[in-house]
Amino acid sequence: MTFGRRLLMILGGASLLASPSVAQDNGPTARYWVYVANESSDLVSRVRFGPDGLTEEKTIPVGARPADLDGAHGIAVAANGKFWYVSIAHGAPYGSIWKMESGTDVFVDSVTVGLFPATMSLTPDASSLFVVNFNLHGNIMPSWVSSVFTPFMNETAQIETCIMPHGSRITRDGMTHYSTCMMSDQLVEISTTGHRVTRRFRLTDGHEALMDLAETANRAMGAGRCKPTWVVLDPEDEHLYVPCNGRKEVLEIDRSTMTVRRRFATGAGPYNADVSADGRYLVVTLKGAQAVAVFDLETGKETRIETSQPVTHGVVISPDSRYAFVSNEAVGATRGTVDVFDLASKTRVASVAVQYQPGGIGFWKMEQ
Amino acid sequence: MSRSHKYLGVVGVVAGLTLSVNTASAQLPPASPEQEAAGARVASVVFAEPTIIAERGDTVTLAPSFFDADGNRVEGAMHLLFARGNQLRRVGSMLDQSGRFLANRPGTSTVIALVRVAEDGDSYRGIDGIKQVGTIRVTVRDYPASRIAIAEPAYAPYAGTSFKMHGTVWTDHDTEHSSATIEWRSENPSVATVTPSGVLSLNQPGTVTLVASTENGISEPLQLQVVANPVRTLDISPTMAAARAGDVVMFDVNALDGRGRAIDDVALSYSVFGLDSMGGQLFEDGSFVAENPGAYRVVVNMGDLASSAIVEVALRPNPWEINLVDHGAVAHVATSDLWVFEGNDGRDYAYTGTHAKGGGERLFVWDVTDPANLVMVDSVVVNARVVNDVKVSDDASWAIITREGASDRKNGIVVLDLADPAHPTIIAEFTDSLTSGIHNVWINGDVVYAVNDGTSAMHILDLSDPANPRHVRRWELRPGDTNKSLHDVWADGQYAYLSYWDDGLVILDVGAGTHGGTPADPQFVSSIAYGMGNTHAAWRAGKYVFLGDEIGTPDGMRGYVHVIDVEDIDNPTEVAKYEVPEAGAHNIWVEDGLLYIAYYQGGLRIVDITGELRGDLYRQGRELAFYRTSAGEGEAITPHQPMAWGPQPYKGNIFVSDMNSGLWVIKFAQPQVLTP
Repeated sequence: MTFGRRLLMILGGASLLASPSVAQDNGPTARYWVYVANESSDLVSRVRFGPDGLTEEKTIPVGARPADLDGAHGIAVAANGKFWYVSIAHGAPYGSIWKMESGTDVFVDSVTVGLFPATMSLTPDASSLFVVNFNLHGNIMPSWVSSVFTPFMNETAQIETCIMPHGSRITRDGMTHYSTCMMSDQLVEISTTGHRVTRRFRLTDGHEALMDLAETANRAMGAGRCKPTWVVLDPEDEHLYVPCNGRKEVLEIDRSTMTVRRRFATGAGPYNADVSADGRYLVVTLKGAQAVAVFDLETGKETRIETSQPVTHGVVISPDSRYAFVSNEAVGATRGTVDVFDLASKTRVASVAVQYQPGGIGFWKMEQ
Repeated sequence: MSRSHKYLGVVGVVAGLTLSVNTASAQLPPASPEQEAAGARVASVVFAEPTIIAERGDTVTLAPSFFDADGNRVEGAMHLLFARGNQLRRVGSMLDQSGRFLANRPGTSTVIALVRVAEDGDSYRGIDGIKQVGTIRVTVRDYPASRIAIAEPAYAPYAGTSFKMHGTVWTDHDTEHSSATIEWRSENPSVATVTPSGVLSLNQPGTVTLVASTENGISEPLQLQVVANPVRTLDISPTMAAARAGDVVMFDVNALDGRGRAIDDVALSYSVFGLDSMGGQLFEDGSFVAENPGAYRVVVNMGDLASSAIVEVALRPNPWEINLVDHGAVAHVATSDLWVFEGNDGRDYAYTGTHAKGGGERLFVWDVTDPANLVMVDSVVVNARVVNDVKVSDDASWAIITREGASDRKNGIVVLDLADPAHPTIIAEFTDSLTSGIHNVWINGDVVYAVNDGTSAMHILDLSDPANPRHVRRWELRPGDTNKSLHDVWADGQYAYLSYWDDGLVILDVGAGTHGGTPADPQFVSSIAYGMGNTHAAWRAGKYVFLGDEIGTPDGMRGYVHVIDVEDIDNPTEVAKYEVPEAGAHNIWVEDGLLYIAYYQGGLRIVDITGELRGDLYRQGRELAFYRTSAGEGEAITPHQPMAWGPQPYKGNIFVSDMNSGLWVIKFAQPQVLTP
């Protein structure tokens, strides 16, 4: 056997690209930690950023079947930081949510939910987790949002929303959940205590309006489709931001009146988004453009910054509103990366290779 | 505890919608300082009754009362009652916090009582501001029993015979009762006695009424006319004089009447005694297998008549020696499936896929013409992170590799042209209806069966023009039901065998003509499932289908090979198993009476499956050889750990792919002739 050994050496050399990078001048004085789910490795990376640079300090195996991709997809970290949750998207057939203890990163409990559980969010008291069952690859049919009572990891409700739900955010009072539906072109509001849909909003261009609550099965067709992939709230819970993956823009929607206030043009494939805690920046990942778009929410001005690898996926902003942590899936056997962007200088200040197809990213903690 | 039927309407709505059953509040409701103070005092909870039994469909009220450590009642605490269990499988759920519990299905549920306290006062499982103060078990019983259906006796009611009676309890909702048992009695014990569990002994001719009783005062009579036993002589003799451990010994049993005529509908009892050994088993059809050598006495009896036979059992032949021929180390990426074939250039090739660990985007091409000198000659890169399966067409002119984890989430299959088998080229990427991952494929002439990860359907593709695959149709179990998982498919020209995870083995007619199926339009034939589920891979050889599980546990992979008798294709029956303790079965190949199993951490296993099969093949010593496919540092992505994926015997060698270490070739030191 000759060729194989040569190939091994070549590929072994490639792994040097994964060495930690170092922060630039005026770098961080604090330390920041994020968790990142690597969908094609079934590993969750714990990534640290600080004065000593950006490092994948640990990988945590998740999933139970070595010969199948279990598909670690979404990450949510409890506000008190005690536990983090990862959606295991694939199953037989239903996926699951794993509860892990932060820091030790040991498995605590799990619960089976629906088809391809993807994005999650937690109530501020961390007692309840909501996860959208994306059903990415299944038949075109309405799916549901699962509500999970986290102390016992019990699925307490299945709230049918629409076709291909994705994105998940809960208001700061913990009472309302928002998600979107890619195929139904909807933004859906759920009462977290009533476990029912309270409002539906059509996102199709020119037809933006509240909808009949019963329209779970509508499938948007034709031009002008938003194909929403995410939803995020501003710090005051006044506005909703919905990236329209299908038409290169982000909608700013007034939460009280459910009307579109502004439209932010983006590059190809706006996908995930986050708003800084100070309400100043909206950061949008551009999956099709290998970039992030940083919007100044006061002026609406965009700054486009290239990411280190293509297929830019997730973003989370540190609570001090200083850094955006972005996951890039990359392609094939090229390991994905986590980039750090300084929101003040609008530059990429660090990048580190993680595992294969990093997607969901959640902020754990910062320490001075 | 109060009971009410007025919520039955609610039950129907909840069951139909599978939506919005309010249990504990999702977001913990805010508590006032007074409520938190009261909660802090609570030390225990007492429910209306110490144990609660509810009937399926009922709503019962748990009525909790709270007490402090001194036994004084505490008023004003905010409590949460929570029924454990998942939404779809839950025994019951709380309708509200007044304590109304909806009994969904039979079983036992635990309801947990929590109280709100100050956020800095207490926490429970990581959630601040709550504490657990008690639990109660709620047992939910099925709908009331309404009738018993007694099964027709399997044997004629001859005096002096004994057999088991069977019956089914049905509820007043016309569903089979989940827990009710039947108790039997005889109204004329002089004619027949019956044990409470239904073992019937017919004593003398006459009329007897058997009564089957169950809960709720339900009973069902069955009148039997016991007739004189015509059998006068009973004789048993084994069909083979000498047997080895694992050989299935059948018996000629003759029950004759006074005129020498065979009586076939008489119940006979069998028993086996080890005379100097243990491990002999008798099966329902009267066959006998021993796991250990020695002498066994097999007895058949009926009333006062009895006959016995001695079976001398010897050890099976010694295990066969196998030797390593070569190891093609792959140490940077996990290896998946393999296919070994003779290319149209006359040389031999092995194609191996790659898995996620290390980045599974490649197919490796090995020249294995000299199996003692494996040479990796090329690789094909596709947009994927797992190339799980590799299959080559019958004429070796094209091949398929499957994709999962594609960066554009359009997976499907990739078709390779093998005009130059050392350097295959991509001629088609086909994703129509297959954008989700394709886990496995099987080639049946020009037809390809593809296992769709997303829909759990078997998609049927026309590859008559390999450069232009065409989607023909799909076949799936229970269309419209998402709760199913298809994992693999194997087919011969007649039937396809689908490994449908918790639905077990599903058999389709794909050309046998017995059920109207064709290769491109399969028709359902039959299925067999078993409790442990996780049905992963199948292979038919002779009248048996070898069916492997894949079970992930915290201690590693588990699962074994079930042996399914499909001689009656409409009624598949499990007859034997092969199980390596503390390891997990993966892919299977059967050839020339040998079962090859890549047994994950158990390495390669080779089992003699000649002749009839019954019982536990491993314990019977039918395993002929095993090989640990593990390699050291630098030669494995995970050193010193076998993780065998797939076997394939080929031209006198055995090729094995191992996730951790690549491609292996091993060989029997001295090929021997198997004796069925």
